[in-house]
Amino acid sequence: MQYKNILPVAILFIVITCFAMHKKLNNNTRSKTWVVSQNSSLSVNGSTNINKFSCVIPAYDHTDTITISKKDEGYILTGDIALSISSFDCHNSGMTRQLQKTLNEKQFPLLHIRFLSLNQLPEPIAKPEFITGLVAIEIAGVAKHFEIKYQISQDDQKVIHLLGSRDLNFSDFNLTPPQKLGGMIKTKDQLTVAFNLNMKSL
Amino acid sequence: MKKILTTGLIAGCILFVISYGGLYLGVRFFPHLFVEYNNPLFNSDGSRDILFYLHAFIISLALSWFWDRFKVLFKGSFIMRGLEFGFVYSIIALLPVMWISFSSLDITLIMVLSWFLYGLAQAIIAGLVFAKINP
Repeated sequence: MQYKNILPVAILFIVITCFAMHKKLNNNTRSKTWVVSQNSSLSVNGSTNINKFSCVIPAYDHTDTITISKKDEGYILTGDIALSISSFDCHNSGMTRQLQKTLNEKQFPLLHIRFLSLNQLPEPIAKPEFITGLVAIEIAGVAKHFEIKYQISQDDQKVIHLLGSRDLNFSDFNLTPPQKLGGMIKTKDQLTVAFNLNMKSL
Repeated sequence: MKKILTTGLIAGCILFVISYGGLYLGVRFFPHLFVEYNNPLFNSDGSRDILFYLHAFIISLALSWFWDRFKVLFKGSFIMRGLEFGFVYSIIALLPVMWISFSSLDITLIMVLSWFLYGLAQAIIAGLVFAKINP
């Protein structure tokens, strides 16, 4: 008889507990999704001992999303931008082909930028705000994690502009910077990757 | 044969210093002329650098043999003989090679002209050395 009274109470307790846990989980993983628009761009700037070069992917030809979620340990980003190495334009056909060869385009046709985390949630304001975050950059099949300083702002059309740049080395990705004429022309190991993502909140 | 090798090696050493010294100075003071070399058409991994730097000796030994075989045809002072030798080599060997290179490879006219003048200068210097030490 006593057990018959306990059973409904126990079921009620389990249901309430599950509901409360679900609500807590839902609050902790409250997420926003941004759609990366096609007028986003990426540039790779570097230099040799005789000149500087700037290679750009002027228009991003995919539609990808970045999801930002609040977790107990911070703001987690989920999203991968895949850029085609063949889309690089160095404003000089020879240098364009050289960069594509150096980045091993035939074997690894895509450059990936994976967004991993942000130190704070960006506010939707027009004034540029500076935040830092972690990204994984994958070039020629080698992925490395980097901390990046972003500048983020939102314009009147509610387009979010995310600007980021980071100095990298060819050698970080097991790539050898090219050298010509017996080493008389040498490309420096360091290059700067800069991206300008234009995104809209879903 | 010994004379050919000796004069070839001497000319090779002189050409090595002048050619690569000149190239180094060219890259340093006229860098814009070398931008086009950032192109996969040119070896970029350093695997053939030794062959690149041996070129001065290859051309010197080949020209040394050519000089020994035909030196009687070059008359006048050693300067005139060296100059004529350089021009003969350039017209017979360099010009057709540069012509076919420009017509078939994705290279600029400036690049081909600079190669022609570089080869001409090398052949004249080698000719002067040969006319002096193997008249």
